[in-house]
Amino acid sequence: MVHKVRKARYVGAPLLMISVNLCLFALFFIWPASIGLGYSFTSYTGVGTAPFVGLDNYERLSGDPAFWAALWRTLIYTGSVVPLTFVASLGTAYLLVSPYSKGKTIARVVFFLPWLISPIIAGVIWRWMFGENFGLVNFVLAKFGIAAVPWQSNADLSLIVVIIAATWMGTAFNMLLFIAALKNVPVSYYEAADLDGAGAWQKFRRITLPAIAPTSFIVVLLSTLHTMKEYGLFVALNAGGPGTANNLIVQYIYTTGFKRAQIGYASAASFVLLLILALIAVVQLMANRRKGA
Amino acid sequence: MGISATVRKGYLAAGVVAVLALGACSSGSDSASGDAKSITFWFSTSAQAQGYTDLAKEFEAKEGIKVEIVNVPNEGYQDKLRQAAQANSLPDTASVPSIDTLWVNQLQDLSSIANAEANKINKDLITAQDSKVLAIPSDVTAAGLFINKSLFDKAKVAYPTDPSQTWTWDEFLAAATKVRTAANAKYDLVYDNSPARIRSWIYTHGGKGFQLAPDTTFAAPDATTVQALADFAKLNDDKVMPKSVWTSGADPNALFKSGQVVAYYSGVWQVADFAKGITDFEWASVPTPAQPVHATDINLGGKVVAFNNDKAAAGKKWVDFIFQPANYTKLAQTNGYLPIESGLTLNYPFEKQAAKDAFALYIKEMEMADPISASGQANLTKLLLAGKSIQEDPTKAEMAKFINGEQDVQKTVDNIVAGLNQQIG
Amino acid sequence: MAIATRPPALRRTKPNARPGSRTGDLARKIAASSVMWLLVVAYGFPTLWFVISSFKPAGKLFSYPLTFFPENPTIDGYVEAWTSFDFARYFINTLLVAVAATLLTIVASAAAGYALAKYQSWWLKIFAVCILLTTMLPGETILAPLFLVVRNLGLYNSLSGVVVPAVITATGTFMFRQFFVTVPNDLLEAARIDGSGEISTFIRIMMPLAKPIILTLAIFSFQWRWNDYLWPLIILNDPNQFTLQIGVASIIGAQNVNWSVLLGASVMSMVPLVAIYLVFQKYVMNADINAGLKD
Repeated sequence: MVHKVRKARYVGAPLLMISVNLCLFALFFIWPASIGLGYSFTSYTGVGTAPFVGLDNYERLSGDPAFWAALWRTLIYTGSVVPLTFVASLGTAYLLVSPYSKGKTIARVVFFLPWLISPIIAGVIWRWMFGENFGLVNFVLAKFGIAAVPWQSNADLSLIVVIIAATWMGTAFNMLLFIAALKNVPVSYYEAADLDGAGAWQKFRRITLPAIAPTSFIVVLLSTLHTMKEYGLFVALNAGGPGTANNLIVQYIYTTGFKRAQIGYASAASFVLLLILALIAVVQLMANRRKGA
Repeated sequence: MGISATVRKGYLAAGVVAVLALGACSSGSDSASGDAKSITFWFSTSAQAQGYTDLAKEFEAKEGIKVEIVNVPNEGYQDKLRQAAQANSLPDTASVPSIDTLWVNQLQDLSSIANAEANKINKDLITAQDSKVLAIPSDVTAAGLFINKSLFDKAKVAYPTDPSQTWTWDEFLAAATKVRTAANAKYDLVYDNSPARIRSWIYTHGGKGFQLAPDTTFAAPDATTVQALADFAKLNDDKVMPKSVWTSGADPNALFKSGQVVAYYSGVWQVADFAKGITDFEWASVPTPAQPVHATDINLGGKVVAFNNDKAAAGKKWVDFIFQPANYTKLAQTNGYLPIESGLTLNYPFEKQAAKDAFALYIKEMEMADPISASGQANLTKLLLAGKSIQEDPTKAEMAKFINGEQDVQKTVDNIVAGLNQQIG
Repeated sequence: MAIATRPPALRRTKPNARPGSRTGDLARKIAASSVMWLLVVAYGFPTLWFVISSFKPAGKLFSYPLTFFPENPTIDGYVEAWTSFDFARYFINTLLVAVAATLLTIVASAAAGYALAKYQSWWLKIFAVCILLTTMLPGETILAPLFLVVRNLGLYNSLSGVVVPAVITATGTFMFRQFFVTVPNDLLEAARIDGSGEISTFIRIMMPLAKPIILTLAIFSFQWRWNDYLWPLIILNDPNQFTLQIGVASIIGAQNVNWSVLLGASVMSMVPLVAIYLVFQKYVMNADINAGLKD
C-alpha cells in the first residue's frame, strides 16, 4: 500500500533531482555515443565519407582470435586486480579508522600518494624495481646468487608486475570509499556486541561487513568496470608485451582500430566491450538485489 | 515547496554563475581578425622552445607582428590538430610531426621560400605537390650508433671514427662482445624499438625494406630484407641485446645510461640528452656499420607549415623569416638541429666535445649515406600527396610478436605489408 | 526536526574503543600498528624512490648499481620544470577547472544519487544503468564524437568546455546512492509528516548527513580534474588557458623524455592534491556521522 502511494506521489521531485545528470547524459553520452555507434556500421577511416558496411565489422571482430585472446587476458587481469584491490583497500581503511594503530597521519598520506601518480611515472618507478635488466629486485636477487628473473619478457610474470602496480595505485581510491563507510557504522552496534563479548573478528564479520555492504558493492562494481578498461598502465610498464601477450581489450581496440585509422572497426569493438561491461554490471546489480534488500 | 524552490533556484543560479564565469575567462583571447598584429605558431617538445622564442622576438622587433609560440605536448598533438581543423581553429603557422589528410588542403604554398636561392633548402625533403610546397622540414634527423667510450677504452678495443673507414655489423658486434666480456658489462647493444631505426638495419644489410609499388601500395620486400629481419631477431638473446626492449617496451635510453651496455643504436636527437644526462662515463658517436651498404635512416624533424587563415600573409612572413639563412643558423644552433639548408656555418653551443664531434659525424654520415636512407619519409610524403596516410607503422608490433616467438619471419613480413596496406586501403 | 533527537546510544565514540583489559589493548595496538607499518613500507617504498629520485641529477637517474639516496642532491629538475612553462598561470587555470567541476559534480551527483536511493520507479532503475553506461566506453571511442558535440554547443576553446562534460560521474552518483540507501526511511517519513517538501528535505536534512560522502567525492573529483590531460589539450587552444598536466606533458618529447625535469614537475603538481586531501580527510575522520542514522 505505502509503496503504491509513494510511486504515485513522487515523480516531480526525483525527476528534478536527476535532471542535471539526465541532461548531461543525453548531451555528453547519448549524442556522441550514437555517432560512435553509427560509425561501427561503416568503414569510416576518420576522413571523408563513411560507407555503410552493415555488420561486417562485428563479424570480422568475432572471427579475430586476437580479440578473444585480449578479452581472456582482460578477464584474468580483472579477476586478479579486483579482489586484491578490495582486500588491500578495505584493510588499509580499517587500519586507518582503528583506534589501535599508531602513526595514522603518515600512513594516510603514504597510502594515498600512489593514486596521484601518472602512468608514465608509474612506468619508470616499476621498471626501476622490476626491470629485468637493471631493476632493483633482480639486483638484490643477484646479490644472493639467484639468476635474473624475466619480469618483462615472460608473459605471466609481466602480468603479475602490472597486477601489483595496479593494486598499489588503485588502493587509495577504494580506501577512501571504505573509510567513509566505516565511519558510518553506528557505534551502538559495536557496543552491543562488546556487551555480548564478541571478538574483533566476529565484530568485523557480523557488524562491519554487513554495514558496509552497499559500499563494498560499488567498490566491486566500479573497480571491475575500471579494471576491464585498463590501458595506460600496460603501455607504461610492458607495452602490452612481451609481444602481444598482454594486450588487453582496450589496447586491442586502439592498436588494431584507432591507430590504424579503422574508426569503424574500433567503434564496433568498443560497443562489444560496452555490451560485455553492461552485462557484468547487470549481473552484479541483480546479485546485489537478491542478497540485499 | 516554497523554501525548497528558493533553495533550488539558489543552486541553479550558483551553477549558472560558475559556468558563465568560466566562459568569461575564456573570451578576450580572440584578437580582432585581419589586422595581423599577432599570429600563432604551434610546435612540440620543450627542448625546442628556446630557438623559436628567440626568433619570435627578433621577428616582432623587425615586422611588428607578435608570434605567440605555443608548446603543444607531443602526445595528443595530432589529435588536437585534427579536432582544431574541425572547429576552424587551426593555428596560423606550426611545426607539425606529420601532415594530416584531414587538413592538407588548408595549407599555404611555401614555394617562394623553399625555392629561394639564398636559402639553399634541400629540395628532396620538402613536401611538394606539383609546384606547390606544402611543408618545409624544420630539421633533418638521422639514425646513428653511440658507444660507451669508457668501456671501449677499458677493454682497449679500437673503433672507427671516420665514416669512410666504417666497420661492418659483424665487426662491430665482435668488438662489442669483446668489450662486454673484457669490461664485464651486461649487453653488447640496445637498439631503439622503432620502425625507422629498423629501416637502417635493413638498408645497411643491402635490403630495400618496405617500399611503395607504382600503384601506391606496399609490395612484398626482397629476400635480403627478410633475412635481415630474421638476423635482427636472433640478436635478442639477452646477451647481445636484452629482449625486453623489443618485446616489452623497456627504455633503451635508460638501459644505455646504466653504463652496462656497450653500444646504443638510436639517432642524433640523443646527443643533446647525452650531453646533459650522462655523467658517469664517456660516450661517443661512431659511424653506422655498413654490411656492406653505407646507409642510415634520414627523417624529418618537425614540418613547418602555414595555414590559409585570415592572417595568411603574416604567417607566411614568419615562415619566410625562420628560413632566412642567418635566422635559421641561430635556430639550428640553439635547438640542436641538423640543418635542412646547406652552406651554413654551424657552431652548436655544447660544452662537451663528444657532442660537437657527434654533430660533425652525423653531417658527414648523411653526405655519404646511400639515397635509400631517405626513402622511408619519402614514401610517407608520396602517400600523403595521394590522399592517403599511415598513422601507425605495424613493424614494431609485428617484430615484437616475432621476437617473442608468436610467429615466424615470413608471417611477420606478410603482416607488416598487410598492416601498411590496410591503412592506405 | 528529526536530527534534533539523538538517542544517547548514538553518541560519538571511536568504534572498538570499549575499555577492555589493558594487556589485550596493548596486544591489539602492537598487532594493528605493525600490520599497518608493514603496509606503509610496502606502499611507500616505490613512492619514496620516486620522490627521492626527483632530487638526483639527470646523470644519476639510471646509473647501475642502483642507488637509493642521491650523492649530490639537486633541485635542478624542479627549477627547470618551474621555468619550462608558465607554472603559476597553469596552476590557477587548473584550480579554476577543478573547483568549478567539483562543486557542480557534488550537486549533480548528490541529487541524482538521492533520487535513485529514495524513490522507486522503473525509469529510475533504467537511469541507474544509464549512468553506469558512461563508464563503459574507452576514451578514444567517444573522444572525436564528443568533440563535435562540445563544438556544436559553442564550448570549444573555453574552460567550461573542460568542466561541463566532466560533471556527470557514475562514481559520484553511486557513492551518494549507496550512502542514502543506508539512511533510514523513517527520517524521510518524519520530515514528510512535518510538512517538509521533498527537495527541501533533501537539502536541509539529507545533504548535511552526507558530509563525509561530499568530502570524499570532492577529493576524487579534484584529483580527476587535476590530472586530466587529453581532453583539456584538445579543447583549449589559448595557452593562457592551459592546465597543469598540459605543461607537464610538454616535457615528454617524441624521442626523449627529460626525466629529471618530469619527476620534478610531477612532484610539484601532486603537492596541492595532498594538501586538499589532508584537509578534507580530517573532516571525514572527525565528522559526526553517526548522528541521526540507523536505529
